[in-house]
Amino acid sequence: MISLRYRNKGTPVHKLNPFCKLAWAGSILVLALILDNPLFLLVLFLSTLPVIKAARVWKEWLSTMKFTLFLCLAIILINALVSSHGSHVLLEAPFRIPIMGAPVITLEAIVYGVAMSLRLLAIISAFAILTFTVHPDDMMLAMIRMKLPYKSVLVTSLSTRFIPTLFDDIERITDVQRSRGVELDKGRLTHRIRGRSSIVTALLSNSLDRAVQVAEAMESRAFGTGRNRTFYKDIRFSLIDVTTLVFALLPCALGIFMAVSKYGQYQYYPTLGGIGLSGIEWFLLALMVSILSVILLLAHVKQRVDLD
Amino acid sequence: MKRRYIFLTLILALGIASFMASVFSPSPLDILSNWGLVSTILVSLAITAFFFEFEEAAVSSKEIALVGMLGTVATVIRIPFAAIPSVQPCTALIICSGYVFGPVAGFMVGAITALVSNFFLGQGPWTIYQMFAWGMAGISAAYLKRFNLSTRGLIAFGIIWGYAFGAIMNTWFWASFIYPLTLKTFIVAQLNSVWFDTAHAVGTAVLLGLFGKKTIAILERFKEKFQWGTLKTDLPPTLHVFASDT
Repeated sequence: MISLRYRNKGTPVHKLNPFCKLAWAGSILVLALILDNPLFLLVLFLSTLPVIKAARVWKEWLSTMKFTLFLCLAIILINALVSSHGSHVLLEAPFRIPIMGAPVITLEAIVYGVAMSLRLLAIISAFAILTFTVHPDDMMLAMIRMKLPYKSVLVTSLSTRFIPTLFDDIERITDVQRSRGVELDKGRLTHRIRGRSSIVTALLSNSLDRAVQVAEAMESRAFGTGRNRTFYKDIRFSLIDVTTLVFALLPCALGIFMAVSKYGQYQYYPTLGGIGLSGIEWFLLALMVSILSVILLLAHVKQRVDLD
Repeated sequence: MKRRYIFLTLILALGIASFMASVFSPSPLDILSNWGLVSTILVSLAITAFFFEFEEAAVSSKEIALVGMLGTVATVIRIPFAAIPSVQPCTALIICSGYVFGPVAGFMVGAITALVSNFFLGQGPWTIYQMFAWGMAGISAAYLKRFNLSTRGLIAFGIIWGYAFGAIMNTWFWASFIYPLTLKTFIVAQLNSVWFDTAHAVGTAVLLGLFGKKTIAILERFKEKFQWGTLKTDLPPTLHVFASDT
């Protein structure tokens, strides 16, 4: 059965304020897009791992990563095949392709592909935390608090809420159609598609009827009349939450600083730059890692405080 | 109304600034030559602008309920097919809803489908591009109304959007992960997923060809029931839903 990727496992990471996790993942996204240096990108990716371990979502994470590896492979392959800017030629094809010229595989292009794969891995790993540890409702609530358009957010959460209901509907409609003699799994492909479509059309009319009911229910509760909206569930900010939020946003500021002052950049073409980092860059790297991992420490502190 | 201009200004400013960045090369503006970042910001600005548009278009709860339910149906028919890459039956439904209910509703159904289904399939930086791509499919479908629509036209439209969806996603992939950003690499990045896109296009075309008219007929019937858009009654606005039942 299909279900949400979110499971409440009750770890400190799950209990963190959704804002902090959003800001943290956003910071990693910005950092990953700004930084070029493969070492920085690798460290960025590695710094998401402790959080995943603390959230106990290894299994889910691995299944996501399996899919990502295909994308990574595509990135490396395309970069290696397309880019002929590198100077260290590893392999040169003996034939020519009309527009592209002779394909040349260079060391630089492969290194660039690997670095970009690390970039993708870091981003996906950070977003996996959001998918696995933030409940969609909390995500929506955070969106409303960020002053995003309320009605759009409401539509999203309405839609999320009705998905299990619609899956139940599908099961019921399938049974009904079977009992009416519609053959769903037999015959030719077109025959099967027609059988399935009888389910989808019934589902569509049924859910549109449901939409009328939802609208009537909202109307009868005087939706849209009040000025000040109140929430059944609310996100409260304690002192620790604010501190966490600041620490989750700091990497973003650090990334912009590094982009403006050209740290964390790396020369791929035409010849690979040296791997050595300057003193300031080592310091910035260490600073980045420590700020990114403060979120774990604060998560534990928050759990401690909440227990007291 | 006002917010639309704010977003237009922001998008324009970012666009101009990113061109200026390369003119005055050694400057703090250089951060803008990071195309992966720039395109992400631009796309999210565009999506938010459309959300604000919906905020004004949706006057009562019935619009919200209708768009929400259409998004749910599209999500529900997307998720079971996620295991087979690029078979996306939701594209056909998004096109039909855009066609019947107009550009704003079409965009919302597309964007909501991408966002909500990714709660089940996994969120990521691709979410906003999917929201954008499907949203655009919904918007463009609304303009089909100007032509006398035949099944053949619907099929052609399905094929176009099957490939256009892939093109938008590949452009994200290209801008973020490929170097150098030239026409050559662009073409290769686009060709990367040509089989998946073909599957998407054929699937959407088949669905639209077989069931497009029928789905549109169902939606049209509910549109009448809902009285989407202009409603000429003497009743106060809060009673519209009930008015349509009588």
